Amino acid sequence: MAIHEKTLIDADRIQTSDNLVLDGVDVSGHWNTMVLPRYLTNYDTDFARQIRTFAGGENVHRCWQCGSCTNSCTVYAQNTDFNPRYWIYLTNLGLKADILKDKDIIWTCVSCNRCTNICPKDVKPEGVMKALAHWLEEEGHTPESRSSIFDNEFLGQVYETGRIEDTRVLINFLRKTNQSLTPPWLIELGKRMTKHLPLTFLTHMGLHLVFKPRTKSWGRTGEVLREYVREQKEIARKERAMPKEAVHV
Amino acid sequence: MQKPVLVVGAGPAGLAAAAGVVASGAQAVLVEKAAKLGGTPILSGYAKLVPSGEWARDAMGRMVKRVEDSKNVTIHKETKVTKLTGEAGNFTATLSNGTTVECGSVILATGFTHFDSINKPEWGFGTFEDVVTTTQVEQMVAAGKVACPSDGRVPERVAILLCVGSRDRQIGREWCSKICCTVSTNLAMEIKELSPTTDVFIYYMDIRTFGLYEDRFYWKSQEEFKTKFVKARIAEVTRAPDGRLLVKGEDTLVKRPIVIPMDLVVHAVGMDPNEDNPEIARVFGIGLEKHGFIDRAEHYTNTCGTTRRGIYAVGAALAPETIDDSISQGTAAAMRAVADLNALVQKSA
Repeated sequence: MAIHEKTLIDADRIQTSDNLVLDGVDVSGHWNTMVLPRYLTNYDTDFARQIRTFAGGENVHRCWQCGSCTNSCTVYAQNTDFNPRYWIYLTNLGLKADILKDKDIIWTCVSCNRCTNICPKDVKPEGVMKALAHWLEEEGHTPESRSSIFDNEFLGQVYETGRIEDTRVLINFLRKTNQSLTPPWLIELGKRMTKHLPLTFLTHMGLHLVFKPRTKSWGRTGEVLREYVREQKEIARKERAMPKEAVHV
Repeated sequence: MQKPVLVVGAGPAGLAAAAGVVASGAQAVLVEKAAKLGGTPILSGYAKLVPSGEWARDAMGRMVKRVEDSKNVTIHKETKVTKLTGEAGNFTATLSNGTTVECGSVILATGFTHFDSINKPEWGFGTFEDVVTTTQVEQMVAAGKVACPSDGRVPERVAILLCVGSRDRQIGREWCSKICCTVSTNLAMEIKELSPTTDVFIYYMDIRTFGLYEDRFYWKSQEEFKTKFVKARIAEVTRAPDGRLLVKGEDTLVKRPIVIPMDLVVHAVGMDPNEDNPEIARVFGIGLEKHGFIDRAEHYTNTCGTTRRGIYAVGAALAPETIDDSISQGTAAAMRAVADLNALVQKSA
């Protein structure tokens, strides 16, 4: 197990001006290199509460920093920058800037839940990783994730017809994520399906792709569902934005 | 007539000892240097006690009443023992009020002294009005309002600094004061109850909420009251230009120096040996251990014993101690003391 030691000087705190003259002396380039101070000067005391409003983040404040999550982490074993224990601490103290530095790796959690099973305080670190990834996405710090794109496609079809059509979900997902519609694995899958699946089933699949079957008497159910989900998200967003006085403890 | 047991100090341990002595059928003489009975919880104005949650004045009040109502306890307030002669079974104590007491044994329940924060000037006590001690916050809670002494505003943020006057070789305090972690997590909850929008940060090296205090205080404070625990020993408390306090230190979990604004900084003060211990040691002819607390005999077969036969010590006189355990020790020492009297009766028979 690697020892996770943070470097004391982050690259983004090293500042060098290519052209600088001070008191008539040319100090361009590395002569004027300065390292900005590392001091933490404040906490965002409301941040942990906001993360608690995302599914999975409910128990983040319970953490006492034992490090069991990080030590048991599948991803940490591959990449020692992936440190759930550290991000949970940053969340609880509201050190957002430091979380943002790791925004491009937090989503790589594979949800193996070893941390969930080992955590002595039932923090559910895997859930916190999800909550953080969702917060990053909602705040626009990270682009819409592939899993969100997939979820939206999936749900969109449910709203529309009361069911999903596998082939259509897959094709639309590949299209929306700018992926090839004919990746080798899909071609192989198709080949094997043609070989082994009964003809009637294949025919159904083909027809459904063209005719979009609907669940019987689906009626306005989809619209109602869509509205409900939208309302719930709106409520959660409003709760996150509420002033502290309104939501204390 | 059987000789009484002399109990010195009328705090939780001493009151329990006196009550234990009379419950065993003997007489007790209770000597207290303050004008009021009840000891530190009363004299320092504690709010709710740990772990019962009962108000100090109610809990101590019951203990005081039990002793005051007993016709077998003679109470001397505003009095000290100035001289003790004789030996186990036959002591003669001279009190500062002129009384002489013949007693069979002595129980010292002389307690502790709060660490004086002025001895850690870098943490701002005595320099900034809004740096206070846990005792002061106890008093605020008891009065029903937590406020910054400088201007009376309700603090948005409170920092509680643990181990002030404990675990610190620089000031010769190499002991853990045992109860400050629990008291601080409890105070954080009480602050939140009085002011729900206040954020409370506890700066710690370790959290030592032993036994059942773990989930009843530490976990509850963190999980239900959202107390934030920051692993940093604060190096210095200073003041920002806007008048707020700044706590400086190193957050060892993010490995960064911190300079964080706070409205109220609370020192979780530790337990020092009673400042009168040198005098107590001289008067009673007993030894002190290396930190200055009363030296205890081997505990296995000489429970509550000191370095002198017939003299027992209990509670925070021996080491930092909880109120509940001080009470238990007071009761235990009563049994030892009364056993001494019985042995004396048997010897003379």
